[in-house]
Amino acid sequence: MRNISLLFRSVVKSLMLIMATGLTIGTASAQDVKEGESLFKQKCTSCHAINSDMVGPALKGVNDRYSEEWLLKWIKNSQALVASGDEQAVALFEGHNRVAMTPFPDLSDDQIRSILAYIDDAGQAPAASATAEGGAANNNDVSGFMLVGLGIVIVIALLVIFALNRVIRTLERIIVNKEIEIVDEEEEPKGPTLMDKVKVLSKNKRLVFFAVLMLVVFLGSAGWKTLWDVGVHQGYQPVQPIKFSHQLHAGINQIECQYCHSGAFKSKNASIPSANVCMNCHKYVTASDKYNGETSPEIQKIYDALDWDGQNYGPDQRPIQWIRIHNLPDFAYFNHSQHVSVAGLECQNCHGPIETMDEVYQFSPLTMKWCVNCHRETEVNHKDNAYYDKLVAAHDKLKEGDKITAASLGGLECGKCHY
Amino acid sequence: MDSNKKYWKGLEELQQTPAFVENSKSEFAEPLPIENVLEGPGLEKKTPRRDFLKKLGFGIGAVSLAACQNTPVHKSIPYLIKPEEVTPGIPNYYASSYNGQSVLVKTREGRPILIEANPAAKLLNCGTDAATQASVLDLYDTNKLKDPKIGGRETGWAKVDKAVIAALDEANASGKQIRIVSSTLNSPTALSLIAQFTAKYPTTKLVEIDSVSYAGIIKANQNSFGKAVIPHYRFDKAEVIVSVSADFIGTWLSGEEYTQQFISKRDYKSLENGKMSRLIQFESGMSLTGSNADARIPIKVSEEVPVLIALYNAITGNNVAGAIGSDNAKAQKVVALASKELLQAKGKSVVVAGSNNVAVQSLVNAINVALENYGNTIDLDNASYQYKGNDTDFESFLNEAKAGNVGVAFFLNTNPAYDYYDSKKLADALEKIKTKISFSDREDETSVYMDILAPNHSYLESWGDGNALTGYYTIVQPTINPVYNTRQYEQSLLIWSGSEQDYYDYLRAYWEQNILAGTGRSWDDMLQTGFEYKGEVAAQAYSFNGDINSIAQQALSFSKSFAKDVEVQLYQSIALRDGKQGNNALLHELPDPISKVTWDNYVAISPAYAKSLGIVENDVLKVTGENGYTVELPVLLQPGQAQGTVSIAVGYGRSKVGKAGNNIGKNAYPFAKIVDGAQVLYTTAKIEKTGDSYILAQTQTHHTIEGRNVVRETSFKDYLHDPAHGSGNHGTKHKTYDLWNKYESPGHKWVLAIDLNACTGCGSCIVACNLENNIPVVGRDEVRRRREMHWMRVDRYYSFNVEGNEVTKEKELASLSGEDLDDVSVVHQPMMCQHCDHAPCETVCPVLATVHSNEGLNHMAYNRCFGTRYCANNCPYKVRRFNWFNYWNDSRFDNYLNNEFTQLVLNPDVTSRTRGVMEKCSMCIQRIQAGKLKAKMEKRPLKDGDIVMACGSACSANAIIFGDLNDPNSEVSKALKNERVYYVLEEINVQPNVGYMTKVRNTLEA
Repeated sequence: MRNISLLFRSVVKSLMLIMATGLTIGTASAQDVKEGESLFKQKCTSCHAINSDMVGPALKGVNDRYSEEWLLKWIKNSQALVASGDEQAVALFEGHNRVAMTPFPDLSDDQIRSILAYIDDAGQAPAASATAEGGAANNNDVSGFMLVGLGIVIVIALLVIFALNRVIRTLERIIVNKEIEIVDEEEEPKGPTLMDKVKVLSKNKRLVFFAVLMLVVFLGSAGWKTLWDVGVHQGYQPVQPIKFSHQLHAGINQIECQYCHSGAFKSKNASIPSANVCMNCHKYVTASDKYNGETSPEIQKIYDALDWDGQNYGPDQRPIQWIRIHNLPDFAYFNHSQHVSVAGLECQNCHGPIETMDEVYQFSPLTMKWCVNCHRETEVNHKDNAYYDKLVAAHDKLKEGDKITAASLGGLECGKCHY
Repeated sequence: MDSNKKYWKGLEELQQTPAFVENSKSEFAEPLPIENVLEGPGLEKKTPRRDFLKKLGFGIGAVSLAACQNTPVHKSIPYLIKPEEVTPGIPNYYASSYNGQSVLVKTREGRPILIEANPAAKLLNCGTDAATQASVLDLYDTNKLKDPKIGGRETGWAKVDKAVIAALDEANASGKQIRIVSSTLNSPTALSLIAQFTAKYPTTKLVEIDSVSYAGIIKANQNSFGKAVIPHYRFDKAEVIVSVSADFIGTWLSGEEYTQQFISKRDYKSLENGKMSRLIQFESGMSLTGSNADARIPIKVSEEVPVLIALYNAITGNNVAGAIGSDNAKAQKVVALASKELLQAKGKSVVVAGSNNVAVQSLVNAINVALENYGNTIDLDNASYQYKGNDTDFESFLNEAKAGNVGVAFFLNTNPAYDYYDSKKLADALEKIKTKISFSDREDETSVYMDILAPNHSYLESWGDGNALTGYYTIVQPTINPVYNTRQYEQSLLIWSGSEQDYYDYLRAYWEQNILAGTGRSWDDMLQTGFEYKGEVAAQAYSFNGDINSIAQQALSFSKSFAKDVEVQLYQSIALRDGKQGNNALLHELPDPISKVTWDNYVAISPAYAKSLGIVENDVLKVTGENGYTVELPVLLQPGQAQGTVSIAVGYGRSKVGKAGNNIGKNAYPFAKIVDGAQVLYTTAKIEKTGDSYILAQTQTHHTIEGRNVVRETSFKDYLHDPAHGSGNHGTKHKTYDLWNKYESPGHKWVLAIDLNACTGCGSCIVACNLENNIPVVGRDEVRRRREMHWMRVDRYYSFNVEGNEVTKEKELASLSGEDLDDVSVVHQPMMCQHCDHAPCETVCPVLATVHSNEGLNHMAYNRCFGTRYCANNCPYKVRRFNWFNYWNDSRFDNYLNNEFTQLVLNPDVTSRTRGVMEKCSMCIQRIQAGKLKAKMEKRPLKDGDIVMACGSACSANAIIFGDLNDPNSEVSKALKNERVYYVLEEINVQPNVGYMTKVRNTLEA
């Protein structure tokens, strides 16, 4: 018995193993390309493109030109390879004006293989630009769902009333028929006109009452909702002067939010980055691989704003006029640093999945109710902050054990935001 | 509650005039036309049905349109290349200086919005005066010149340079004189630049002339000690101060610095050490100094010298003729007491006189030498260079010009067509000068005569420096890019002297070679602190040179020349001073500390004297000076004004200064004259009624406290006996019952302590509050309607002294008459929202727009308020203000702050309120929040002093102390433990969070 069970187990084990390997093999190549893409964008794009020469040569077909072993050595430290006298390496170095490639000793062999896999993959694809997925907000509106539901209920109710009415009328006719033998048999084939039907229906007081009631409920709730939303611009997505994609910068390229919005950590304004911050990268990153060697028209807008001639900023500078998306009323004071640095909140808490937004829209309603709810629920980040020691001690004295929320430290008082 | 002294804010309150009683009952100055609507014609008026429907339809349409979901498009424009030091939303501070005084300039996103004291500075390290505070508004003045002009037509700088250089070369070739006429120029670099300019054009000479001259003091010191300087006074070392008409904590020389010195001997810290100086003031018009004096004796202008001679005699034992006699028995008596005090405090006393007469100042020098004050309280070795104007230099300039010898004249920061007494002489002289160039930033009165206008930068746009005191060098650094096409005068002079250097390089080179050399400090180090101080020179004692008898006789004959008709004293008002900031709406609306008049000057006259002349309040008087100059000005009955005298403020009546300041008041400078080579601001005049009447915009009784006991005071003698004397803190307090639960403030508890003994009433806190909190200027008419918006006011209360008896019971008031009304004492009481824990305003607000915070503050949510004004009616302190207009966006207020450019002065951290809401002191909640946030970001507990109020930081006397009462070590907790502390109207148990300390007077004992 024992042997049988052991055998069974090993069979099962090996089956599972085979299945697992199969799965991993199946996903491996796809993952390699994906990892390779992100690595490529992080490490390589400042000098290389797939289809066009930049600082470095176009990389399309690099796998065919060189052996993998050689590429691994070259990418990790090209200068060492050149120094070692490798023929291919020397030829390449001399062929590109002796511009040394940045060494990447921190990349593992697997990572480099992923990059190469991506290059291979991307090289096969046509040089057309990737079609961007629509970034429109998927506004998961619960109340909209409710409204639709309500409409369906109303329709069903109307049908029921109509059916019941028919039943009543049939019954009434039967009663009448019983009392008086058939009257006006001839007229029946004509059938009542539409107007007659409406007239008959309108004489039904219950139906009219129900219809009016439904109409009032419908208009009332629609009006109520509209009034609540006056001045609330959730989902507001204006067209910006530059088609800047947070999805690309914050999502794919993983640029830290504070690299551009440095104010958010120290000031009340998160601040829109000045164009010279853009230029830290876009002096080199022109996305020309996607535009047949031309600078991307959107990046060109930064150059135009700064009157950049490829070397210097010119005199004819014109500021970029962004459209403000998040508008708080003038009488509400909001400070980013309080929320980001002190409370340690993620930007996404209020701005939503910004790293997936191709075009930014207003994610939160920015209503006072929304602020207040968060202040009610959020615990104060008072650990290791000596400022709060006295306040926490005072709080514990009064309400030991209660959550220390922003509200319990006075975060709901008018003067905290309105002055 | 042991004080039954009667305090009153104005004569109308004292006499309970029907108008006053009526006003104190009604909420508004003008009755609201409700009756017109509800009764008679209002009701009879028919609204046709069609009109009704039209309006209804329009209303519904408008509301639905307004409710449309149109998101307003706001542009957000970032820097293209952001300066490293600027983070939007965070203020930057730059050390700069104003009039030689080191200050910090607060800027937001590259625009200056507030001036604060530089805590590391010399001379004055806390607080600034109202004029300095308000100077930031001058930067945003739309009436400034936008381009240079030649012959009245706008042009470019290249053409100006060509024209000026041609004129200079011509003058040089023809041997004509070149003159640079300036107000006091103490910038060492500019002086060196002028020397360079003079090397190129050798006939150049600098002529310094001040609107209000102190040449008499300089000349007297030259005669007495051989040192032609203004000494550095040390009121912080003086135990007894006798001042004859010198408003030294107000407008005399360096008022703000002297305030700090003077109050350091009188504030609560000094009192806790049992020390308090004594100030005895002889003067004709009630000045700020007089209102803070321990003993104030009204004397006529012509009695100043007799008082000084009597003082000299009593101190030295000499018997110089002309001493004050029994015709002013009170002055005679006080002189005897004062001289005894002074002799006891030899070397620790000061005698000062406000008169700019050389002989009078020489006499004062003799007294101070006899008191051994030189080297102790008066320092001739560390001289002050704040005022170097020389009236004789200017006279000779005019004579030279009249003779046709001057070819080119530059006018820098001076406006003789407005402030020189003899306009004809000036016009005649200017006519003969071929090329006249003004550096004025606007087309002022003098610009009419000018050929070329080369507008100068504001000090907030320029590089520069100053040297107000021996060894004390301050830097001026720009805090904003030049707004208009102006150029700083130094740069212009540099170009005209043929140099192509940038003035910044010139200045830096001068500093590095002359001022910073040998100090081991770099230019950048110095820019950070804002000044370089070489240290004090040891002060020496001086002996007096001169024949005292002849000096006394000279002074006496000067004095006697005013003993006829009505004696007129001209003075500078605390707000407008010499009138240079004449277009500054904030200063015009700052109530005078004594008269509480805004937007006007007036003839101040004693009530008894007015009665004898048949003059009543609101009369317009025609004043004809001895030189024939005439003005028509409204009258102001001023208790405390000496009989037979009137006082008129200079600095008003500018005709070409800008929209806000044009023709506000009348110009009194032409009453002045030159005696012995020094300007004298006294004259004699005939006054007559014109029959017209004019209502001054006076705030004094706008927020009446209905005779309730709000001021408490005691004498220093009683204080020494019992520190709580007069504070009402004695005896058992009656049991109180609360309708409300106790308000817990477990975290912070923000409170203020106000030292009534330190507050001089100067009002710089009000201007600072206005700027910090975006408080609008409402203008004269609105002030008349009692609609001034100031969140804080300084209440001035009068009380009587009768026969040295301080206490006057209410029922005795009726028996007073005539001259008794002149002998008044003054208490200044800053009054702002008291942030009551059981606030009466909070309970009556129907929409909970004003609620309490757990930090002890009374919050005001403007967006919640809908303007019932119940709160204002229920406030016992009358500190709430109602917005009658959208002051920041209403064309009726265009002259003041409502324009796109001037609005740059707004503090972006504070909402500018809209029409129809209440507002009041928030205890600078934006500063509290910012201070807390800074501590949180640095993960440290909040320290005492991290947060200061705008009013407190503007106060050189440290009269307003802010802090956390829950922190037992904070300055305010310690101050509030003082026995003198009382709470205003504490008997109504609203539990205010602002504590006051009793006023202590160091009264003279007979």
